[in-house]
Amino acid sequence: MAAPALVSGPAAGNPATVVRARGFGKRYRGRNAVEGLDLEIHAGELFGLIGPDGAGKSSLIKSIAGVLRFEAGSLEVFGVPLLSDDACERIKDRIGFMPQGLGQNLYPELTVEENIDFFARLRLVPHSALAQRKAELLAITRLAPFTGRAMKHLSGGMKQKLGLVCTLIHEPRLVILDEPTTGVDPVSRRDFWLILGRLLRERNISALVSTAYMDEASSFHRVGLMFGGRLLAAGQPGEIRALAQGALVSVEAGAEVGQQAAALAQLRARFAQVDALGSAIRVFVDQGDDIQAADMVRQALPALPPQAVAAVEPELEDIFVALLRQRGLARPAQDRTSPPPARRQDADAPAIEAHELTRDFGAFRAADRVSFNVRGGQVFGLLGANGAGKSTVIKMLTGILQPSAGSGRVAGADMRSAGFAIKERIGYMSQAFSLYLDLTVEENVRLYGGIYGLDRAAIRSRLQWISEVAELKGYERERAARLPMGLRQRLALGCALVHQPRVLFLDEPTSGVDPIGRRAFWDMLFHLSRFDGVAILVTTHYMSEAEHCDRLALMYAGRVVAEDSPSGMKNALERDCGMLLEINAPEPQAALLALQRNGFAAAALFGNRIRIQSRQAEADSARLPELLRQAGQPGVTVVRRAPSMEDVFVQRVTALEAAELNARKTAR
Amino acid sequence: MKEPFSGQDWRLWLRRVGAMTRKELLQLLRDPVLLFVILYGFTADVYNAGSGVTLQLQHAAFAVHDLDRSAASRELAGRLLPPEFKPIGAITDARQGERLLDSGQALMVLSIPPQFGRDLAAGAPTAVQVQIDATNTALGFLAYSYTTQIFGQYAIEAGLRNQGLSPTALDSLARVDNRQRVWFNPNQDDGWFMSISELLNVITAFAILLPAAFMVREKERGTIEQLLVSPLTPFQVMAPKVLAMTLVIHIGILICLFGILEPVFHVPIKGSLTLFALVTTLYVVNLSGLGLFIATVTRNLAQAAMMGILVLAPMMFLSGIWTPPEAMPIVARALMYISPLYYYMNASYGILLKGAGLRTIAPSILGILLLGGAVCGFGLWRFRRQFD
Repeated sequence: MAAPALVSGPAAGNPATVVRARGFGKRYRGRNAVEGLDLEIHAGELFGLIGPDGAGKSSLIKSIAGVLRFEAGSLEVFGVPLLSDDACERIKDRIGFMPQGLGQNLYPELTVEENIDFFARLRLVPHSALAQRKAELLAITRLAPFTGRAMKHLSGGMKQKLGLVCTLIHEPRLVILDEPTTGVDPVSRRDFWLILGRLLRERNISALVSTAYMDEASSFHRVGLMFGGRLLAAGQPGEIRALAQGALVSVEAGAEVGQQAAALAQLRARFAQVDALGSAIRVFVDQGDDIQAADMVRQALPALPPQAVAAVEPELEDIFVALLRQRGLARPAQDRTSPPPARRQDADAPAIEAHELTRDFGAFRAADRVSFNVRGGQVFGLLGANGAGKSTVIKMLTGILQPSAGSGRVAGADMRSAGFAIKERIGYMSQAFSLYLDLTVEENVRLYGGIYGLDRAAIRSRLQWISEVAELKGYERERAARLPMGLRQRLALGCALVHQPRVLFLDEPTSGVDPIGRRAFWDMLFHLSRFDGVAILVTTHYMSEAEHCDRLALMYAGRVVAEDSPSGMKNALERDCGMLLEINAPEPQAALLALQRNGFAAAALFGNRIRIQSRQAEADSARLPELLRQAGQPGVTVVRRAPSMEDVFVQRVTALEAAELNARKTAR
Repeated sequence: MKEPFSGQDWRLWLRRVGAMTRKELLQLLRDPVLLFVILYGFTADVYNAGSGVTLQLQHAAFAVHDLDRSAASRELAGRLLPPEFKPIGAITDARQGERLLDSGQALMVLSIPPQFGRDLAAGAPTAVQVQIDATNTALGFLAYSYTTQIFGQYAIEAGLRNQGLSPTALDSLARVDNRQRVWFNPNQDDGWFMSISELLNVITAFAILLPAAFMVREKERGTIEQLLVSPLTPFQVMAPKVLAMTLVIHIGILICLFGILEPVFHVPIKGSLTLFALVTTLYVVNLSGLGLFIATVTRNLAQAAMMGILVLAPMMFLSGIWTPPEAMPIVARALMYISPLYYYMNASYGILLKGAGLRTIAPSILGILLLGGAVCGFGLWRFRRQFD
């Protein structure tokens, strides 16, 4: 294993520079995709580029990989200035590049082993070296049992791991991964980052990766925040957090819907960044530290008890939004004050009732006795990895798929006998947004209006409402293809709402939308649920979105394995598995080994930080610095971290997978 | 599950189908590539077929290997006249003739033996050799029969001359005079036949490919999912695509008839255009079932297009455009009777060239109805089934 001397993380002094960009710029048809970008990536570093779609990440990444020409500035890779195609060719044998898209660089019909062999031959890997390298990489990625399986039959996470193996087979010094975890479930995502981290450490490789998931930043050594073609900031995750001034305050305004809405309006009058998050409200206060910020919020809400307001640690996404806002790059969410909290009479009536819903495909049971209820005005989240059965449940409830057994009622109609009536009463929005991209905004709304049987007058008034609520004013005659993703998403939501449905189904609705757009989207959903009493069922991969839901159901292998509120799930996790402690050590790799030797076998490295779970959090936080000092690792700090929804998800699913494996072993 | 229709329901039904049809047409209008292909199909493609494809022998190149070099041999070779034949010169070596045939520079080589003229004058039997490149069987056959006829005529005249009779004496001999009356296309202008048959081919291709393309596009972009959860029935999803296609094809036909067939090829449009439009509507609506079937078994536009070609090729071969049914082997002929294009073709030639009325083409319409109905029903059934 790597000795401490081999660890050349950012902490190891003055490291060599692998990539250096100065005033870099890339233009497409006269439009700047990237401009004036300065960046350095050091040897042995895992550098993450974070930013929404269209921020310029891919342009930068492709230019560094030597596959895209650029117009402005200079770019040096391994000290070679990329001035000509010739120069690009000279660096290519030291680079491994994995393009965006699941298994995009692999051949679906070839087996795992054939894919690896193909890339090895392409890269002229000597035959003698290949066998050993292949064995090592397959062992680390745990793909060894699947060498004979065709790539197309692998899961998303496994495809990405295979992609990584193929990218590493010629032992490059720099690997470049363009959004390697998009579309991969949280468990596989975390696994992917752990494997990548280990490979980088053991082989002293540098990596440049991009991601649209803000919460992945903690697993990188350094991150660069990109927006609108510019690098807003670069540094260690902690440094980035310190860039935005102010603090994040969470408010529990009360259980009554009216109370939360009133507090939201009051806060929006005084603060620029206010968002509803499930039953809570998050306020980013631009001045002062935690205590001062909480006091300012309390002053804004004199009616609330002081303990309802508390400062919380901001997510990187909060920081990102705050940074954009403080630098005048983005408009804060606006208050949609219009609808008064006059609720529909039937708002609290059960909107979705699933009772023991089961669906078999041949011998495979895709949904296994799934039961849950969603009230009007409730946002209900269905979480689960790919293939957990989320889509099957949604398809049954929306009437596309007949259940094999069980029953259910949607919007007051029986799903077995009144499938058609259900279709008229529900709204549905899919991952693909289901818009006709070659039609204009107005034409899309008119089409869906016509499909739901609205007459001209009704369509006109709904068009008015949609362009107001979805902030699409001025875009009515624009083709949907030309809209930014955020607007496209809100238009799709508007189309799904054209007939004022009582129940709304959202199937992974926020892929590819930037944080600002996502916030506007959730703001819309919040108003729909709270004021119009619409019941919303949403499935999502983004665990940070699960926080917006009132209730969550976690699905695994077709079953609902847990159902609770987000905070309830987090509390249960801390109860069952202990508190999450984050350790910041000057030499993280050595500290990790020391911890693993001292009884913390499950300690894992996320970027520069070590995480452990502890049942005696108080005692452990106190004794760990001392324990590590004795192991030759002084200067360690330990903080308690509240678990994220992703922690909950990964923990639960991993435990279930382990249990299933054990059961299978005992059965044998 | 369905309640009986009231007036309100009908309005709703029309509104839904109307909105969807409008959408299909808008999408088509915004697809410049597809628009170009459609326009090309109904104009340039038909023009090319009508002006370029001919079933007659024209400018067939021939070389003469004349070992006799007499007045008689020159006269014989001189009987092969343009426009059917085109002399490319004399050769002096039999090998050279083979080479010309091998390289395709000549379709025929005429070899006249020495003594040819003297033998003829002496009244002794003599022979000439014609070598024909029959790679293209139709052309080879035509060259063979033309030369047979021309040389036969020459032999008779030479025989008469030998007997001291003038060629006009032929009239005094007892013989059968074959006088033809060519109906419907008096000049036997291939342009008429080929341009119309190409138009019918183009109609057939678009009737299958357009609905398939419309449908597969929804699959590719994921919009089909949205339609499935909407209160549209499968029929309401499908019918607008067929409607839009039918409208586009009718516009294309008008452009082709009055932009190409009439002004360029002077095709006389004898029958009722309304009848032609009605028969066409019947045909394309029925045939669209095949397109929808293709859409159910393919995942993207490329696959659908390939599959379309696979379906179209045998339909066209077996339609009677390229070979009359009587000349086909029994199995192919039987297959032809189940190709809807065969019936559509009969009806269309009947209306356009012969001025036939409804009564004359009734059997063809019945054929379209029965076969097309089966195809359409099958397509609809497959289409519905994929929703379950």
